[in-house]
Amino acid sequence: MIQWFRQLDELLRGKITSPDRLVEGRVELPLRRFVPLAVLLGATYGFFMGWYALSLYLSKTTQDAACCWQAVACIIKLPALFLLTLVVTFPSLYVFNALVGCRLSFTATLRLLVGAVVVNVAVAASLGPILGFFTLSTTSYSFMVLLNVVLLAVAGFVALAFLLHTLCRLAAPPTPARPVAPEVPEPVSAQPDSRASFELHRKPGPLERLPTGVPEQGLGQARTIFQVWVLIYGLVGAQMGWLLRPFVGNPNMPFEWLRSRQGNFFQAVVTHAQHLLDVP
Amino acid sequence: MIASISAMRAAIFQADRFLRGAGPFAPGASAARPAWWLPLMVVAFGPIYGACMGSFQLDSSDRLFLMLYGALKVPFLLFATTLVCLPGFFVLNTLLGLRDDFRDVLQAIVAGQAGLSIVLASLAPLTRFWYFSSSAYRAALLFNVAMFTVATLAGQFVMLRYYRELMRRHRHHRLMLGAWVILYAFVGIQMAWMLRPFVGSPDMPVSFFRQEPFSNAYVVVARLFFGG
Repeated sequence: MIQWFRQLDELLRGKITSPDRLVEGRVELPLRRFVPLAVLLGATYGFFMGWYALSLYLSKTTQDAACCWQAVACIIKLPALFLLTLVVTFPSLYVFNALVGCRLSFTATLRLLVGAVVVNVAVAASLGPILGFFTLSTTSYSFMVLLNVVLLAVAGFVALAFLLHTLCRLAAPPTPARPVAPEVPEPVSAQPDSRASFELHRKPGPLERLPTGVPEQGLGQARTIFQVWVLIYGLVGAQMGWLLRPFVGNPNMPFEWLRSRQGNFFQAVVTHAQHLLDVP
Repeated sequence: MIASISAMRAAIFQADRFLRGAGPFAPGASAARPAWWLPLMVVAFGPIYGACMGSFQLDSSDRLFLMLYGALKVPFLLFATTLVCLPGFFVLNTLLGLRDDFRDVLQAIVAGQAGLSIVLASLAPLTRFWYFSSSAYRAALLFNVAMFTVATLAGQFVMLRYYRELMRRHRHHRLMLGAWVILYAFVGIQMAWMLRPFVGSPDMPVSFFRQEPFSNAYVVVARLFFGG
């Protein structure tokens, strides 16, 4: 287990996606460890999300004991939302990726996407204590929904930045090993330049744009793949979220594992927009 | 007696060096002092203001408890808010490649809180003087808000002194400083709301927490503005 978290730490610190480890388009991200990690971290955020239903019951705001199952449902649904979306979209993501001429192999594409999902749920799980803290004091359903949207949006944007920067690093041609420079003794009287020495020793994070020396065309290809992936994953993810409702659990509605499959996410958006603009 | 006086003199001497950012409290000299000195300053100076804040209308022995509660609540407010925000902040720092600096980041955060606590302690006589001059509860609340605002700004100033060195190392520290301020303010406001009463309304019984279910400060404010 400690080994798993060590590898998660390596991913978050950018060691796994550092340019020297992305040689030849390989992504060293063992799926047998990172898929369970995605489940575990997603369940952690789900655990905090489910507190709301529990706190409503414990504060006697609702008398229906069945609503406590909402906590269990959240623990299952959160990782399911991310991973099922990946299962549905992966074939099309891979095919498009190959079509554009990206040098990522089938497994490397899968590993990269699982890595992005893990980053997403890891950030969400780390923001979980904030969600849990607000749950202790909030009965307002709308506030909890909005807070969840904001926290998951932050996590989502971080994961998107991770994906984009990793794709840009992958677009770079493999760099030859840097020759070792002879050591030059530093003048004793010189003031140490903290920034220069820090930059020399620090490893860049996974969200940093590195000077890859890649022509604009190569980066453009990476950005195109990124945009198409975001579009497909985002649309399917939105609909998956709609199908897996309810997440937070409306206190005015009885508990149900899944709501009846009426309408879809996009229909609901249009209906809400019409309702807002008073269009019949 | 002599021992406690010399301990107090030592504490004031260290606080003076901390406020000036000198000696072991210089931003780059974290190795020159034990790590627990800065949290100790929060624990030592925070309760001074907390007790003073709770000393509003001391007309019964019951209300003395408000001074004790206030003394406990101020350091608790600062530490608990930090604890809630820290996991998310830690992961975001790691993702931006700033993990190696996190020890220094943590030092900057605690230094900001130590600065806030010392400034609050120095403002305690002003608050007590205000209580002498006016017995209006609402005015006392507003005065305390003003004192906390001043102390928070001073705390930010101290924190920035430590962060400046970090920002020289990497520009992403500037982004993370902004993220910390937003996170801390968002959680801190709610934490303070939950830990009420601090001043203690004269019309309400003395208690550690308000004798009502916890509520959400943002929902209350939104309802005040928009009704509902």
